[in-house]
Amino acid sequence: MINTAQNLKEYKKRLKKALDNKFLGTTLGNFASAYKEAQGRIFAGVDVPGLIREIAAGKDAALPRLEELYEAFKTKAEAAGVKVHLAATALAANEIIARIAQDSGVKKVVKSKSMTAEETFLNDHLEREGLEVVETDLGEWIIQLRREGPSHMVMPAIHLSRQEVAELFTKVTGQTQEPDIEKLVKVARKELRKAFLEADMGISGANFAIAESGALGILSNEGNARLTTTLPRVHVALVGVDKLVPDLATALRILKVLPPRATGQIITSYVSWITGPNECPPGPGGKKEMHIVFLDNGRLALARDPVFSQALRCVRCGACANVCPIYAQVGGHNYGHVYIGAIGLILTYFYHGRKNDRAIVQNCLNCQACKAVCPAGIDLPHLIKETYCEVLKGEEKLPLKNRVLKRVLKDRRLFHFLLRRASLAQKPWTRKEGFLRHLPFFFGQEHEFRSLPVIARVPFRDLWSRMYQKVDHPRYRVALFGGCLVDFVYPEQGVALLKLLKDRQVQVEYPLGQTCCGLPAKMMGEKEVAREVALQNLTALDPGHYDYILTLCASCGSHIKEAYPKLLGADPGARVKVEQMLGKLIDFSSFMTNVLKVKAERFKQGKKQVAYHSPCHLCRGMGVTAAPRELLGIAGLEYVPAKDEDVCCGMGGTFSLDFPELSARLLEQKLDNVAATGAGLLVTDCPGCVLQLRGGMDKRGGKVQVKHIAEVVAEEIKE
Amino acid sequence: MAPNKMIATLKEKAAAVQVVVTEIQDLHEAFNYAIDLTRKQGGAAMAAPGWDDASLAALRTGCAQAGLALLAENLREHLAEIHTGLTWADWGIAETGTLVLDSSSEDLRLASMLSETHVAVLPTSKVLATAGDLEEEMKRLMQSPPNYLAFITGASRTADIERVLTLGVHGPLELHLLLLKD
Repeated sequence: MINTAQNLKEYKKRLKKALDNKFLGTTLGNFASAYKEAQGRIFAGVDVPGLIREIAAGKDAALPRLEELYEAFKTKAEAAGVKVHLAATALAANEIIARIAQDSGVKKVVKSKSMTAEETFLNDHLEREGLEVVETDLGEWIIQLRREGPSHMVMPAIHLSRQEVAELFTKVTGQTQEPDIEKLVKVARKELRKAFLEADMGISGANFAIAESGALGILSNEGNARLTTTLPRVHVALVGVDKLVPDLATALRILKVLPPRATGQIITSYVSWITGPNECPPGPGGKKEMHIVFLDNGRLALARDPVFSQALRCVRCGACANVCPIYAQVGGHNYGHVYIGAIGLILTYFYHGRKNDRAIVQNCLNCQACKAVCPAGIDLPHLIKETYCEVLKGEEKLPLKNRVLKRVLKDRRLFHFLLRRASLAQKPWTRKEGFLRHLPFFFGQEHEFRSLPVIARVPFRDLWSRMYQKVDHPRYRVALFGGCLVDFVYPEQGVALLKLLKDRQVQVEYPLGQTCCGLPAKMMGEKEVAREVALQNLTALDPGHYDYILTLCASCGSHIKEAYPKLLGADPGARVKVEQMLGKLIDFSSFMTNVLKVKAERFKQGKKQVAYHSPCHLCRGMGVTAAPRELLGIAGLEYVPAKDEDVCCGMGGTFSLDFPELSARLLEQKLDNVAATGAGLLVTDCPGCVLQLRGGMDKRGGKVQVKHIAEVVAEEIKE
Repeated sequence: MAPNKMIATLKEKAAAVQVVVTEIQDLHEAFNYAIDLTRKQGGAAMAAPGWDDASLAALRTGCAQAGLALLAENLREHLAEIHTGLTWADWGIAETGTLVLDSSSEDLRLASMLSETHVAVLPTSKVLATAGDLEEEMKRLMQSPPNYLAFITGASRTADIERVLTLGVHGPLELHLLLLKD
């Protein structure tokens, strides 16, 4: 039985338990590495973004036409002799299938893998009706025997070790089974072969339902889907209406990405294309009795939703789990309900209710790894936050941080006043290195994994009036968007930038009306606050005045790029300004490398070894990967690549406060990878990552210095 | 893609998913290959649906000499007996190392699903570069139902326990591809 944590307290308990499970971490970690390698190999030389765009466009075009596609499919399939059903709800689907079984005198059922049947809890229903149901996919069979839900959409039993499976099979067969995977697979082959031969009905899912022909496409590796659809005299396919595609070409296009993204295979061992009831001697008239049950369960309404319809682009590959750093730590049973991974955090709300989603939906770093890998181009992190907004509407009381944020963030003067007061208040607890000596009392033990920086005595905005320099004939007029961390915690990063831009004919402005970019508000599901501060920033940094809007903070930059158009897109005036702003938005490294085209001769060429952490919001959010590494080279530093450079450091803004244990684990792995390079300096281009990495390095007593790339490059200038 | 290149790609991609690929000159070679393999593996029966009378006659003689039972039809009566399934493949897809079998005949499906070892004969002229090149043909088949078209890429496999690749879960443990020059 699936039992998902319904409150944060219980959820965190389970996460902690999962983090202590060494087997899980190792298996998922190994898989994540192999998976990444396979993506590169399979898609070498392929225009993947182009392919993803085509798939997304095809899905988006089909979604508003689902009813029409259903009718077309039904006409074709029924002409071929199939009975086509449309179930409005999960219960209706289960009842239709139970009735088919009853009408056909079915006693025994074999099933091949179907997430849709997991969604409706079909097995439970059929068993209550007195039918014997056997799952035939090895992983599904294992979890059926254990009475669990799947922990991954394509690898349902990936959370279990061979020892656990051997124990289970020993119980099931009544004979001792060794923990030898090959032998265990043979046990399943033998046991399940019996089930296949005895079954009267086979239930499958389908990956494609092709409207133009009434054909189904079913992917499988084990071959159980082929046996399920061949041996028993009745075949029922349970298919979500979102699996309808207009034509074969669309299905073949999805087939190009689905197996690679799912398991790292070019194609699954078997793809079966079934059109109409085929030859089957025990069936009526020597043909199969074939039914296709389409499940709505909210999909048709979801397809019309202006925001959430995107979720129906999902092709159920599970890639969003495969690349998720959180999933890799805690596994699918702690990262979804029936559907797991990023898409699971969204679909759970719609298919299985708010209570099952309210805790898990908060467990997202917004690192965008899922968005980058999704073969249907779903903006998963955005939809997760939108889902969280919906979840919050049902909460009796908002979390304290939301109430504080609502009160403070919209009012820049109040917000900045409080930061200044905090700077004074922390004075007695300040260490020389710029860290707090103790965490404030309201932080629990679990937050001790990193040292926290102090708030700067003088924020960048106060230094600015002293440092401002008028440039007579500027080549570029640049507005600096500092972000809260540069302004109030790390003003030295802004100072480093000014040093680098000195004598470069760049007129820098720091408009003082700027405030928090609004990302924390988005993370907390406070859309109205996010919108309010976005408008304030748009007013302060009027793009009409500047050639570039430069940011030292990848998170701010990425948020402006990703969220501002969504937040302000409906406002005609603001929309134009936002688009202008995006056209001028640039990160530090790209500005130095591609705009100013800085030359190596300006730098000392000290050949200091540096490791690099690629911030999620820079490499995926802003799409910048080459410029920072190039800039390090120009500045005469020797860049030493580290493992998993583009995997999140665990900061995730407010995430690290909500889920400190997870944040700590990701940070630990990141710093281990950095240590393995042997470099004495770790460079990154996001002050948020600096906060996390520097704090973690201090806590572990590591000798590696952590700096923003602007500081490091500025230090290398020849005096 | 040039035919030679396509065949080379097919061989490479098939081998990458543990398919045993052999080039043959004529059908006798195919029959001998399947018979020898069955004997070597200790099998007792070979299912060979979809072959013409002349081929069946040759197979019958060969199987008899080797002491093997030959099952040519009504395979549902012999579900537990099939060791080797010897079938034609209708097309090959180079890009993915895939064999395509029009498996609308139940016997053909059973031979390729329930056997321990599947031996498929593919004429080299039927090798295509990509699945897209088969689209029109597939559409035609789907427009005249019933139809059961199978893409087969390697032997049955799983990685459901600890992500360790294991061959032969529910379908054949081995897939042998005999490329017939035509």
